[in-house]
Amino acid sequence: MNEFELLRNITIGQYLPVDSYLHRLDPRAKILAAILVIAAVTFTPSLAGNACLLAGGLALVWLGRIPLAYALRGLLPAVPILVFLAVMQLVFFGRNYDPTSPVVFQWRWIVVTGAVLKLVVVSAARFLELLLVTSVFTLSTKTTDLTLGIESLLRPFQRLRVPAHELALVVTIAVRFVPTLALEAERLMKAQASRGARLGGSRWRFISRVRRSLPILVPLVTYALRRGEELIVAMEARAYTGGAGRTAYTVLASRPGDWLAVGAAAVFLAAMLLAPFPA
Amino acid sequence: MQDAGRGGLSTRGIVISAVLAAVAIFLGATRLGFIPTPTGIAATIMHVPAIIGGVLEGPVVGAIIGTIFGLYSFFYATVPMFKDPIVAIAPRIFIGVFAAWTYWSVRRASEFWAIVLAAIVGTATNTVLVLGFGTARHYLPVKAAWVVGITHGIPEIVVAVILSLAVLLPWKRVHRGQARARV
Amino acid sequence: MTASRAAASAAGARAEIGRADGALIHVEDLWHTYMAGTPFAEAALRGVTMHVYPGEVVGVIGHTGSGKSTLIQYLNGLLRPARGRVVVAGHEVGRSNAGIEAVRRLVGVAFQDPEDQVFEPLVGDDVAYGPRQLGLAAEELRARVRWAMEAVGLPFDAFKDRYTYTLSGGELRKTALAGVLAMRPQVLVLDEPTSGLDPATRLDVRERLLALRRRDGLTLVLVSHDMDEIAGLADRVYVLHAGAVVASGPPREVFARPDALAPYGLLPPFPTQVCVRLRARGIPVRGDALTIEEAGAAIAAALREAR
Repeated sequence: MNEFELLRNITIGQYLPVDSYLHRLDPRAKILAAILVIAAVTFTPSLAGNACLLAGGLALVWLGRIPLAYALRGLLPAVPILVFLAVMQLVFFGRNYDPTSPVVFQWRWIVVTGAVLKLVVVSAARFLELLLVTSVFTLSTKTTDLTLGIESLLRPFQRLRVPAHELALVVTIAVRFVPTLALEAERLMKAQASRGARLGGSRWRFISRVRRSLPILVPLVTYALRRGEELIVAMEARAYTGGAGRTAYTVLASRPGDWLAVGAAAVFLAAMLLAPFPA
Repeated sequence: MQDAGRGGLSTRGIVISAVLAAVAIFLGATRLGFIPTPTGIAATIMHVPAIIGGVLEGPVVGAIIGTIFGLYSFFYATVPMFKDPIVAIAPRIFIGVFAAWTYWSVRRASEFWAIVLAAIVGTATNTVLVLGFGTARHYLPVKAAWVVGITHGIPEIVVAVILSLAVLLPWKRVHRGQARARV
Repeated sequence: MTASRAAASAAGARAEIGRADGALIHVEDLWHTYMAGTPFAEAALRGVTMHVYPGEVVGVIGHTGSGKSTLIQYLNGLLRPARGRVVVAGHEVGRSNAGIEAVRRLVGVAFQDPEDQVFEPLVGDDVAYGPRQLGLAAEELRARVRWAMEAVGLPFDAFKDRYTYTLSGGELRKTALAGVLAMRPQVLVLDEPTSGLDPATRLDVRERLLALRRRDGLTLVLVSHDMDEIAGLADRVYVLHAGAVVASGPPREVFARPDALAPYGLLPPFPTQVCVRLRARGIPVRGDALTIEEAGAAIAAALREAR
């Protein structure tokens, strides 16, 4: 609508309020399950395994009652990059990647082997799977639940001097502060435009582009630090002393059904890692 | 500050980590953190808050900011290479840590050069580790990684140095001799 | 000169539309809706009409949320009218970018807390930032920066090489104002120009703004929630409430009718209130005093009369 509007472009905490099994899931269970599923995607190199994972990702979208098109919003802008990556992998890997693999296609110095072809398919599939998993996770989890979950999950590590409560607080403050920063950035862009600032410019004149962004970025970071200093004073003035001995306003209570998800994810991960998929 | 017995994260550490992590998220969410370069791939400055945090508050704060930046870039990535937790999250943890160590070891000699070197080391950490893990995970052939490393690593270092100096010199009130306005 | 303009503008809001020949800025039937097309849509401006004539001081008064900050952004083309018209010195501010740079050069805007926009380490460089974008020659640039700094009361030679973080709050505010002035605008729009300043600096800034108008013919648009701040300075005021102009005219006329403002929760300047209340108690003082000096004179005159 206008050239200075930033708030609209921010997609953080894009919770989709639907009632589903995944939405109701205890955040701790959901975080653990997500980590297990992400690990399964990350460490599965085979075609058959990725087919299973893709099916699993789609099952999660269905389980979260999220419109598929919505979960895949990030796909369309990524298509050119996916194509670029595929072309680069096809053209440059050649025989360097798994020299024992049979050559499928050869034209002058461009060599495509079966292994590279598989690699291209697997990296595209992996991207798609992770896109589904992360979308489902962010769309079904409120940021408040997320921070509660992080804190609760880190609590056992407190004995190892991991500041669980503090880390959760960092995430909470950071997420709350982003819209404030966006408003301040809008204000700065308008103020600098009022004294002749021109943002953007040619990509060929890189340094001049960087210089042009300084009138926004420098005051913005300084503003963040200044607000931080104020917040420190405010917190210490109210005798904030960290997590020890604090009572919680919201208490997470999980049902056995929640841990079913973690169990299922763990079984899934184990199956992916141990299954005798053809390499 | 008062940070005894709580795993070493003071109120100051919490808040500064949070606001700078918010800056990193903001830069990513609005695309303000991406500066187009002649090669067509944007140079990023999203890692600069981690450098600034490391310089101001030390390696722990730097690591926290880097981790949040990494998590954000993993969850909202639209590039296959960054939709991989090993490439997106792990390298980012070390940006602020190495920047902080560099800053601490040079600070005695010169505040100015300590900031410059922290920005260079922090950015190089990001570039080298991301491309290193990226090649290890076969997103990039080694040759392409070298090309990207040079065509992007260098502009990113330049931006990071400019921005870190522009923010940190006034914030830390570093006087550099008798500076003269260019008017 | 001022007198004739005051007379012309005394015709008030009724005659605004169609009688605004010679105005530098025309705002006609301007509407603005935030988050249009969403359930959160909220009208910030509802048919605002205002004009700014060359050389005058216009006050815009309203509470937080009255729409004044939105209105300001239309005056130099930061926002483009979707409904209504904005014309600045003959440039129709429309959808296209044509002439927008000229508009922003003609109308300088200093937003609330302008010191937040200072980003260069040295005062002189920050003030030079705007004019440098115009590609001026070195001497011209220097002359402008010198003029702007001196105009706000920062001696050029003493301040140009100062680090901005060594400045006091008032000096920083002046640096930011100089940065806007250095663009040499014909109209200077100031949002809460003296809020947060200590009383002495507040007075100093006011005096310097008036001197700019007197010496350099600068047109001023002062935006504030504070009646007292505007009353003594403005030739004409617009009172904004819930996105609409609810009163306009010379401050003496607008404030002399406190009943007209009361429904909007707005009170006249304090000295005016004192005089109006004295009159209500049957003491024959002038009811249109705007400043403490005027109120003092009016009460003194009434006392002499009584004796």
